[in-house]
Amino acid sequence: MTDSDDRYAVIDGAGSMTAFEIYIKTDPERLWEAITDPQMRARYSFGVETRSDWTPGSRYEAGVPGVIDIAAGENVEVDPPRRLVQTFNALWSDDVKAVGESRVTWEIEPVGTSCRLTVIHDQLPDGANSEVYGGWPMILSGLKTLIESGEQLDTPGSLRYSGARDA
Amino acid sequence: MDDVDEVFKALADPTRRRLLDELFERDGQSLSELEAGLPMTRFGVMKHLRVLEDAGLITTHKRGRSKHHFLNPVPIRLIHDRWVSKYAEPWAAGLSGLKSELESEETGP
Repeated sequence: MTDSDDRYAVIDGAGSMTAFEIYIKTDPERLWEAITDPQMRARYSFGVETRSDWTPGSRYEAGVPGVIDIAAGENVEVDPPRRLVQTFNALWSDDVKAVGESRVTWEIEPVGTSCRLTVIHDQLPDGANSEVYGGWPMILSGLKTLIESGEQLDTPGSLRYSGARDA
Repeated sequence: MDDVDEVFKALADPTRRRLLDELFERDGQSLSELEAGLPMTRFGVMKHLRVLEDAGLITTHKRGRSKHHFLNPVPIRLIHDRWVSKYAEPWAAGLSGLKSELESEETGP
């Protein structure tokens, strides 16, 4: 990993920011599908489906219908299979709702036979409740396991809402 | 070298763990900010940051002209999931069972 100074685009200065990165052995198209397909997404995101038509300016909603709303927002930039910029409103509790709107940027960069996936969660208020962005490491780890092995990674998080609709 | 080897190698040093602690406390610090908290030359801190970056434990992003460092806990999460998820699974299953039971009671007569 050389030339690290030039690896990332300049980011703007608004709000506080977190950045997560993972290398996954797959191609960009497959990774994009795993992020945007509701059933695949649910398998590594607490059992929660994210639904949208994935056009620029469209809305997306994540949750278990009739059980809980998790997040919602707008797909600001949609550039498959490389870049997705979304506004993010956490909805699962009053505490996280109070944080208000932030921004999540997904970037997929092919590196040899793998992809580097970067998730930047920014435009967060200073001292924002860490629950809002704290789930990303768990989600990204589960995503890597699912894509590379085809296996679902069962953690308390990944099972949280699976089957909740049928309960 | 296996990715995991690099993570353990990077973590096997008290200064590098201290740098991760600093970023855990306050993410997105510049080299100057990180350097201020350590009894070490700028060059020494840079060397440690490079090892952490190569192991994927920190990422850097530019904000204007300055470079900022962010804790990337994902590789540690992967290590956690590799050996701990098996033990967490029965717990989670138990908890979801409890949740269904509580919810069915709520909607019961």
